[in-house]
Amino acid sequence: MLKLHDLYKIYRTDEVETVALNGVNIEIDQGDFVAIMGPSGCGKSTLLNIIGLLDNPSSGDYFFFDENVAGYNESKRSDIRKRNIGFIFQSFNLIDELNVAENIELALLYQKIPAAERRRRVNEAMDRMGIGHRAKHMPGQLSGGQQQRVAVARAVVVNQSLILADEPTGNLDSAHGQEVMELLRSLNNEGTTIVMVTHSATHADYAKRTVNLFDGHVVTDAMRAA
Amino acid sequence: MVLNNFKIAFRNLRKHKLFAAINIIGLALGMAVYVLAGLIARYESNHDAFFENSDRIYTLGINAAPGLNVGIDKMNVVNSAVGPILEAEHGEELDAVARTLRYEYLVSRGADGFYERVTFADPALLEIFDFDYLAGDAEALNSSSGLVLDRSTAIRFFGTVDAVGQVLTFDNQYDFSVLAVIEDVPLDSHFNSSLIMDGELRIIAPIGALASLRGFEAEGEWSNLSMDNMTYVMLPPSLDAQWLQAQMDGLYERLMPEQQREIIASYYVDPLQQANLAIWDAIGMPAITIIQLLGLMVLIVACVNYTNLATAQSLGRTREVGMRKTMGADQRQLLVQFLVESLVIAAIAMFVAVACIELAIPVFNNLTNKAMSLNYLDTLPWLVATTVLVGLAAGLYPAWLITRTSPIEALRDLARKGRKGAAMRSTMIGLQFGISAFMLALVAIVYVQNEKVKEGSFIFPRDEVYNLSRLGVDEIAPRLDTLKNELEALPGVAGVAYSSQIPFEQSNAQRDYATKPGDESTEFRVNTLRMSPAFLSVYDIPLLAGRNLDRDIAGDVLVPEETEVLNVVVNELTLERMGITTPQAGVGQRLYRLGEEGTLRELVIVGVVPTQNILGLFNQEKPWIFSYFASQMSTASLRISSGNMLQTISDVEAVWKRVIPEYPIQGSFLNETFDEVYDVLKYMNSALAGFAAVALALAMIGLFGLAAFMAAQRTKEIGVRKVLGASSFQIAGLLVWQFSKPVLWALAVALPAAFFATKIYLNFFADRIESPILLLAAAGATAVVLAWATIAGHAWRIARANPVMALRYE
Repeated sequence: MLKLHDLYKIYRTDEVETVALNGVNIEIDQGDFVAIMGPSGCGKSTLLNIIGLLDNPSSGDYFFFDENVAGYNESKRSDIRKRNIGFIFQSFNLIDELNVAENIELALLYQKIPAAERRRRVNEAMDRMGIGHRAKHMPGQLSGGQQQRVAVARAVVVNQSLILADEPTGNLDSAHGQEVMELLRSLNNEGTTIVMVTHSATHADYAKRTVNLFDGHVVTDAMRAA
Repeated sequence: MVLNNFKIAFRNLRKHKLFAAINIIGLALGMAVYVLAGLIARYESNHDAFFENSDRIYTLGINAAPGLNVGIDKMNVVNSAVGPILEAEHGEELDAVARTLRYEYLVSRGADGFYERVTFADPALLEIFDFDYLAGDAEALNSSSGLVLDRSTAIRFFGTVDAVGQVLTFDNQYDFSVLAVIEDVPLDSHFNSSLIMDGELRIIAPIGALASLRGFEAEGEWSNLSMDNMTYVMLPPSLDAQWLQAQMDGLYERLMPEQQREIIASYYVDPLQQANLAIWDAIGMPAITIIQLLGLMVLIVACVNYTNLATAQSLGRTREVGMRKTMGADQRQLLVQFLVESLVIAAIAMFVAVACIELAIPVFNNLTNKAMSLNYLDTLPWLVATTVLVGLAAGLYPAWLITRTSPIEALRDLARKGRKGAAMRSTMIGLQFGISAFMLALVAIVYVQNEKVKEGSFIFPRDEVYNLSRLGVDEIAPRLDTLKNELEALPGVAGVAYSSQIPFEQSNAQRDYATKPGDESTEFRVNTLRMSPAFLSVYDIPLLAGRNLDRDIAGDVLVPEETEVLNVVVNELTLERMGITTPQAGVGQRLYRLGEEGTLRELVIVGVVPTQNILGLFNQEKPWIFSYFASQMSTASLRISSGNMLQTISDVEAVWKRVIPEYPIQGSFLNETFDEVYDVLKYMNSALAGFAAVALALAMIGLFGLAAFMAAQRTKEIGVRKVLGASSFQIAGLLVWQFSKPVLWALAVALPAAFFATKIYLNFFADRIESPILLLAAAGATAVVLAWATIAGHAWRIARANPVMALRYE
């Protein structure tokens, strides 16, 4: 499904050149559940951003379903993104002025989907995440766990084939963290490919495969013993 | 502590140079416009204060009755008969009464002559106004051939102010000797008012001289009322305006002739200081108030601007506020700190504004012939108060907004704060654009109306008529036939017509005529114009029915003291007033003249012309009667065929020199006559446009700053939307729409307001633009488009930014 080949990402400022990704090679198949781990500053988020087509690599190839998207401009990337990729963030990134249902609907708003269909799918996603009774609540009125469920609902409402989660449990207590991980696992069981960045070894255990990054290199890439 | 506040204020200005510059320039611009408007208002309403007795001097005026019909409500002139009666009845009680009348004469010293507007005045004028005598004294007008000149006139004629004893001749016939020379009357006197035409005191002659000059009796007249008939009354300190008003009311009741009551409803008394503004009172337009209001509006826009930008900027300082609060500052102390900052900015802005005004005033004075100045002694309290008020009003909201949060919140949650003031900011943006759109709509409507007036004026061949004026002199009259023949012989002259009035000349000679003999109830008021028959062809006025007048047909030409029935041409509106519907039916109808004077009893309509607005400009269309009366012709209208006009004009001048060598030629194109009044309308709109431009510029600056701020506030939301697949275009649209909403709301209020405001202006005109709705829409659209253009750049840049940047540091 995804193939990253010899990927570099270099940030330049006036004085320093930072190599965030240093020749990364990863392949991810459909249905995979990959946890990316590593210390702060090892390039996890950069990698996730590139996989999520939010950012371009400085050099190297990135095949997304056999299409080399490495040099695509923002509008092309945006187009692929909205059809294929859902995002979950550590800080939820819900829009405070919109209620739960509207936040979820946002993901459908930029696809060409009629309003009735959008409503149906939003309700479906909310039921699936167990937040149907919170539809009219504003994000500020929800607990962290509930907010992250809304974010997950938003990520899955389009039926994305790939979900990228950037420390989805980082702002949650352990009980809520576990809840979210269970959600992700069940999504994976239904066939969604998931790539997740995490600091927590416990949560990494939910994944089928763990990739360890260090200073922009892949140091280990291991399938979890089933 | 106070010093510390100032230090912080200046450091902040230095740190955010661009914001500070925008803030200061915007505020300075608003203040400059406001202060200038205030100065103009102050200047215009403080005329004549330098006369020693100015607070005891009053002018008399008339309130118009419906019969006056010249589009004015009141005017500070009275019949020349009033002054002497007041003097006779109350001479013991009041200090002095003096009338002035103005007529133009060819005034010459030997062979060098100028056409001069001479002020004929009662000798008491020199008692009432303490002019500054350079030579001679206030007794000068007691001799019936004495003259008072002002300095410039004396120098113009004699090269010196030492002119006492010199002789000046009026119309080559009447000798006067200079008995006094006064200093030029200061510009800020109603005599020199730019609003009242030709009121300057250049040459003052005794009113008694008018007896021989034009048969004017010293006791004055009830029948005539011109814009020059001023009557001044000086009261002793023991009497006041109410006393004078009571005498005037009594005088009106007892003595006003019945005929005059139809045009004059009552008398009023005005203090001298009001005289400069009388013309605005007359047309019912509160010009000074309007200027002050416009200035205030611009200032409000500038303040709102500052408030918005300061709010935006101060939110970047929440961390500072949080730290200060953590360390024990209470809200009051922080409020003071932020207010000191805004006061510092307001003060700097006021300095800049005052500097701009100092630079602008000489230019302004030059353009408008005024002597305005920024007198710091008088205006300082006002300037300081304005500065403080602006500083507080503009700075209070941002200061309050930023200092009210708890320290934890202030330190932690930057984004949340922006939203709380969102409604307030939208309201302010709306207010700014509402005011701008309001002014813009006024400008547009006034402009289009002015254009319409101009367009309407082209029914007369404005470019091709050359007028020779000042023909109404006894010596010239016998030579008019020769002049006409010689002029018509010139190759470039297609026709020559004489008339008592030309199009666009603002003069109303009116008379009542009845449709039934002896029946006063059938009387209506008609404007009358004396012309030679060629007038119609020279001015392209078509005949709808009947025939033109003809000098060879006996009944067509008025012979004074002889003619009883006269043939005339009328316009359609006259027929309408008579109840006649078609031009054809009008031919042969008669009008009757009631009253005692003259031999003329009956008019027979022989020709009908269309209703044209002969007075043009803002005047209503009027019924007109055109009659042929060989004397009383004041102007020759020459139809010049296009081609070598310059040659033709010089040929005309040569003819004039030959035929009438002792009077200088006074020629001008019809265009110039029109522009004389039209320019006033144009300048008014330019001034309005200036206000509008400043307001709009300020509103745009404000919006620009605010868009930057709001975009920053919504960074996260924009990031999320982009991650979810929103295109840059959609994001830009979102931002643009956010600002369009308040602007559109504001337009919904401002445009109807502008509609009603312009009605005041449009009501002056007979030929009004049909519906200002389209123009209102255009003004609104302009405001919206400019608002969009202002934020589009911002919106696009932010919308295109990489979403990762927006979400990275959460």
